[in-house]
Amino acid sequence: MHPISYFQAIVLGLLQGIAEPFPISSLGHGVIAPSLFGWDIHQNDDFFLAFLVATHCATALVLFFIFLDDWKRILSGLGRSLRDREIGAEDTGARLGWLLVVGTIPAGVLGLLLEHPLRTLFASASTAAAFLVLNGVLLLIFERFRRRPPRPGDYLGDSDSRIAKLTWREAFGVGTAQAAALVPGISRSGITMGGGLLFGLSNEDAARYAFLLATPIIGAAGVLKLPELLGTAGNGVRGPALAGAIAAALTTYIAVKFLLRFFETNRLTPFGIYCIVAGVACSLILAF
Amino acid sequence: MTKRPKLIVPAVLAGLVFLAIAVVYFVEPAGSLPSFFPGHEAGSAHHHTKHGIAALVVALACFVFAWFQSGPSKASPA
Repeated sequence: MHPISYFQAIVLGLLQGIAEPFPISSLGHGVIAPSLFGWDIHQNDDFFLAFLVATHCATALVLFFIFLDDWKRILSGLGRSLRDREIGAEDTGARLGWLLVVGTIPAGVLGLLLEHPLRTLFASASTAAAFLVLNGVLLLIFERFRRRPPRPGDYLGDSDSRIAKLTWREAFGVGTAQAAALVPGISRSGITMGGGLLFGLSNEDAARYAFLLATPIIGAAGVLKLPELLGTAGNGVRGPALAGAIAAALTTYIAVKFLLRFFETNRLTPFGIYCIVAGVACSLILAF
Repeated sequence: MTKRPKLIVPAVLAGLVFLAIAVVYFVEPAGSLPSFFPGHEAGSAHHHTKHGIAALVVALACFVFAWFQSGPSKASPA
């Protein structure tokens, strides 16, 4: 008997793949969905952590391969700048790479220190539903207070060059704010996209920045938990975890491709409204 | 990036301190950590590996910062 069935694994994998890139909190949905479906699965169970490793690694891999050309430029830029001990004025790859590093360090350090206590403290579905409402409000606030409105042609030209115009402080600020996503219900991609908007990026550039910034964090989180999947906690879970990972990879690919097109002309507003409505609805359902 | 050579020594020192903290977290169980260290828990045999990784990441960041500050002074605009 598997602690998590293949059906449950595929459903949760599909959900993870959609909710990770969408600014609607994959962690929040991962906490709420089992409660709504009446499944006896909890985020803090050892087997579920092992399952999460597989879906997170799949998500990170898909994100990496979708932006493979960007990562090639970024990694070669990082190497070049380390060799020269400076970031060239025209070296977009190096500049973008170090912006991602500056954004990833605070998120990674805070994640390492706070992930377990926060996950334990806010693990209930009703709390996650409440934070989902807050996430929706935040997305609407980001759109309201964005530095500039969308303009025709925002998506034309080199997106990496526009993202690389962020300052070090802005990158550090967005990276630090990502730590809020350790609370189930608050979306990492939502916070990152919102930060990008506040600092003058278009929706499409903010989404690209969010996906690039998510890749090392999600990948590192998956790799760090790898012993859970390979150890005794993974017994009986590896089959469903593989099925969940394939499902997550599929929906991550579709979701990212969709969002990059969606944000050429659209805003975060629909996701903000969804989070508020879904959060309120889930709160009511879970309360009665 | 504006070069600030005066920050090289403090950055290297900070890096060394965080490196030492990382080693302590890797080697010592939670019960043997100094009481002012986050994660100290009397009697616990648990190793706070994640705290160690966090300290190691910060140490590396300090060293990389120092490395860039030691580069040629014809700096590009940040």
